[in-house]
Amino acid sequence: MFDSRLLKKFDYSLFILIAVMLVFSTVILYSATQSISTDPFFYIKKQLLFILLGIIGLFLVININYSLFASYQWHLYLLNLLLLASVLLFGKEVNGAKSWIDFGSFYFQPSEFSKILIVLSFAQFLNTRRDKLNSLLDLLPCFAYFFPPMLLIMAQPDLGSALVFLGILFGMVFVAGARPGLLAAIGSGVVGTFIGFLMACLHFGFSIPYIKEYQVMRIIAFLNPYEYAQGAGYQLVQSLIAVGSGGIWGTGLRQGSQVQLNFLPYHHTDFIFSVVGEELGFVGGLMLLLLYFLLVHRLIQIAMEAKDVYGTLIVTGVASILVFHVLVNIGMTIGIMPITGIPLPLFSYGGSNMLATLLALGLAFNVSMRKQKILF
Amino acid sequence: MNGNLLIRRRTIFLFFLLGSIFLVLGLRVAWIQLVRGEELQKEALDNRLQSVEIEAKRGVIYDRNGKELAISVDAPSIGVWPPIVKRSGKEKEIAEQLSEVLEMDKNDVLERLSRQTMFSWIKRKVPFEKGDKIKQLDLPGVHVIQETQRFYPKGRLACHLLGFAGIDNQGLTGLELQYGDVLSGKPGKIVIEKDAAGREIPQATHEFIPPKDGNSIVLTIDESIQYFVERELDNLINSPTDPKECLAIVMDVKSGEILAMASRPNFDPNHFGDFSSKVYRNIAVNNSFEPGSTFKIVTASAALEEGVVSVDEHFYDPGYIKFDGGRIRCWRSGRPHGRQTFAEGVMNSCNPVFVEVGLRLEKKGEGTFYKYIRSFGFGKPTGIDFPGEANGILINEENLKPINIATISIGQGISVTPLQLINMAATVANSGVMVRPHLLKEIRDPEGKVIEKITPQNTKQVISQETAQKVSRLLEKVVEEGTGKNAYIAGYRVGGKTGTAQKVGKGGYQSGSYIASFLGFAPVDDPEVAILVVVDEPKGVYYGGQVAAPVFRNIMEDTLRYLGVPRELPEGEEEGKGERPEEKVVVPNVYGFDREKAERVLKNEGLKPSFVGSGPKIISQSPKGSAEVRKETEVILYTGSISAEGKIEKVTVPDLTGKRIWEASAILEALDLSLKAEGTGEAREQRPTPGEVVSPGTEITVIFKEPPAQEVLSP
Repeated sequence: MFDSRLLKKFDYSLFILIAVMLVFSTVILYSATQSISTDPFFYIKKQLLFILLGIIGLFLVININYSLFASYQWHLYLLNLLLLASVLLFGKEVNGAKSWIDFGSFYFQPSEFSKILIVLSFAQFLNTRRDKLNSLLDLLPCFAYFFPPMLLIMAQPDLGSALVFLGILFGMVFVAGARPGLLAAIGSGVVGTFIGFLMACLHFGFSIPYIKEYQVMRIIAFLNPYEYAQGAGYQLVQSLIAVGSGGIWGTGLRQGSQVQLNFLPYHHTDFIFSVVGEELGFVGGLMLLLLYFLLVHRLIQIAMEAKDVYGTLIVTGVASILVFHVLVNIGMTIGIMPITGIPLPLFSYGGSNMLATLLALGLAFNVSMRKQKILF
Repeated sequence: MNGNLLIRRRTIFLFFLLGSIFLVLGLRVAWIQLVRGEELQKEALDNRLQSVEIEAKRGVIYDRNGKELAISVDAPSIGVWPPIVKRSGKEKEIAEQLSEVLEMDKNDVLERLSRQTMFSWIKRKVPFEKGDKIKQLDLPGVHVIQETQRFYPKGRLACHLLGFAGIDNQGLTGLELQYGDVLSGKPGKIVIEKDAAGREIPQATHEFIPPKDGNSIVLTIDESIQYFVERELDNLINSPTDPKECLAIVMDVKSGEILAMASRPNFDPNHFGDFSSKVYRNIAVNNSFEPGSTFKIVTASAALEEGVVSVDEHFYDPGYIKFDGGRIRCWRSGRPHGRQTFAEGVMNSCNPVFVEVGLRLEKKGEGTFYKYIRSFGFGKPTGIDFPGEANGILINEENLKPINIATISIGQGISVTPLQLINMAATVANSGVMVRPHLLKEIRDPEGKVIEKITPQNTKQVISQETAQKVSRLLEKVVEEGTGKNAYIAGYRVGGKTGTAQKVGKGGYQSGSYIASFLGFAPVDDPEVAILVVVDEPKGVYYGGQVAAPVFRNIMEDTLRYLGVPRELPEGEEEGKGERPEEKVVVPNVYGFDREKAERVLKNEGLKPSFVGSGPKIISQSPKGSAEVRKETEVILYTGSISAEGKIEKVTVPDLTGKRIWEASAILEALDLSLKAEGTGEAREQRPTPGEVVSPGTEITVIFKEPPAQEVLSP
């Protein structure tokens, strides 16, 4: 089914890197799920199934020449909006957020796939506007492009994914050639306004529009976790204890008391990094970060070697998705980001994210394999 | 390869941006794991270890003869593990059942058992049978934990001294507070490793650290003397005198030991919550007052020591005295004392005489009088082992004017604590040597072994022995012929001084508001005890010699007899002076007698014998032998068997049914048995059962239960 000439260009080093990460991820997930299920392999089996599906998906994506996506820019954009709207219509509310669609046997989380769709469509949008990114006015259409999907994501609400969207936007616009000073000014302006607005609301006791009280509490608790150690700060405090008690070498697999005794909830999904920190210590945590760094390094290489700007921008977007996921996720487990509830790609338990991540990486393979014109 | 240079440059730049994010994350992880690791590891351990504290049994407070003044009895407390209750899913039912048994509000109980904690108390120290009932209900997550509760078997006796301990057995006032650390012991712990849901982890650390029971303290207080004082104060407040407050202190002048100290109003430390916190205050130590004429003992001592006056020197009292800067009247200015010696001036408590010698002291050397006031211990705490001792108030030396010296000479314009005052009298009585007053005699470990013994300390000579003897003789005259006649006790040489001070209120001295007092000691030739009686705002007659002296006499007489101090005066004199309204008899000592003989002996004296137990011999009796009591008094005889060497071998366990804890404790103590009390109320069951013959020292377990509430049939 595969073009043998294409297969020769297959990026084996990237594939090996991903495989190593998946083995690491499976081992740590095995350890993390011992305390929450009587069948020690229950979660592992499901996760392996998604990994398999994801790898199949990855190879399917490789086969479609990515240039094809460029011509379907607006279709993909519309599909994205429909996907995000459907979750608001048919979604199931879990922990106060409508982020999942219940398909009976599994939950499907559209925002994970939405990130890929926005990268594919926005790359083409930017590709056509490359020389018109020099002023605030020039950038306005780019922001307008991101506004509808982000509004739908905030409506769920899924603050974590919204932050990743911002990361994608800034990463891609930057690579496409926007002036760094302008971007920095806009970025700090947006963040500053947002923080200022939040502070003002908290200070004067206004309720903050579109933001639910538990989210406000999370932010307050993020600023001062120990004061709310039994309430909104519980998760963070327990996570810090878990990571901190790992020390240099960690307590060993299946030996972390914070994880194995369930002091740290959601340790197999959003807080999987805390498990690495507690059971494998600083060495394990650093290894995980190093693997990601190598992955991103490879992606950036692919971006540079891409045959066209569209390819460069796609891979830049994929790298942005991964890095901002890592930043927001690991950041929250170690107390430098508010708790928002997005997974750690390739490590957290969960089908949608695993599938979406492997599909996104499939795009990188895709671009990598087509870096030189193939002669027939 | 795409040839756009800008984009290539930007891509490299992006790589560094993204790379720096990993750097930040890596540094933060290093900070948490490498720098804060140890601290966070400890927190993880705290998370897992759930410890349940086991209270230590608080030590006993004994009087100097080993009588129990404060003990700890077992009391059940009801606690819950909310996570276990939650898992059972029966919160509502459990709350309902508990609230019914404990007579608590259902919502309150529900709130307590659904708290976000591992452990919470529902109600502590509940009656014994309620604990039993809850044990039988066997509710998930509900535990009955044996704690101990402080119990004061003698009720209000010495309440201000003892103070009381709170729900956690922590000393809150009085000696319970002063010696809190000695009495409290060290709580034990059960440490269990738990998971986040509160489940015990199989094979996890289980550590049992047994509690270390508190040490016991033996006070210098003598329960019998304390009882005399309490009785006299009760009589006083129930008499027409009906003072606002009153107090008495009995002190051993040689050792500085306080033998008794009490005041009114008082409270029951078993139910301290039912009383206003104002009455917790030990006014004998924590309050100060203007002493009035009792302070003249200081003036006389200083003047005689400094030689500014001799006992036989003549004075003339025209009813007042004029001096540079003022004029002071004698209390009997209407009928002046006229010509008198210094000794007579003391007997008459004549103000002009004392003002004169006070001023002479100041003339001899500035500050001479004050030097004595200070060395007698006024203006600073005596250092007694009791919390919150007051200083009293002395006018600052720099502001001192002749008028102040004049008034202080007669005990006005100075504020002293009752304890400072009696300490001064004790110094005079003890040949001028001051000993620090104290309340603790011994500390014993839970097995009863003495681990610390307190001996007299901080002794210092304040006035010479010669002066002290002169003053003592003057004070004896006061009682024999002067203002203190009402303190006279036939057969004993008593010395003392009356005091009557007008109280200071808003705008100066208030008429009709007085503090009457009497301060003295006995026997004068070799003093044993000093006693101070202070009566605040007596109604009607207010002179110290009228109001306080009779109370002093009653306490002193009973105390001297109890201590076995021999009488000195010829028997003949006794009949005339010691008028007694009721015929009294001396209780014979019947220890070791058999039943019939004891009964015969007591009946011959006009007493009513009453037996406890069914042993052949008398092993203890109450009242004790040689005590003086009214005729027809019931004498309780405890029976048992005695060996040939006179040692008590066997005692018969008495029937304690229906007795309250203090009654049971008194009976068992007399039989040399010890009491292990469970619950409160009236005795219902006991082990061993009544009639069983046991060895002395055997522990008798008695279960007390509250009697059912009785219907009131008529108002």
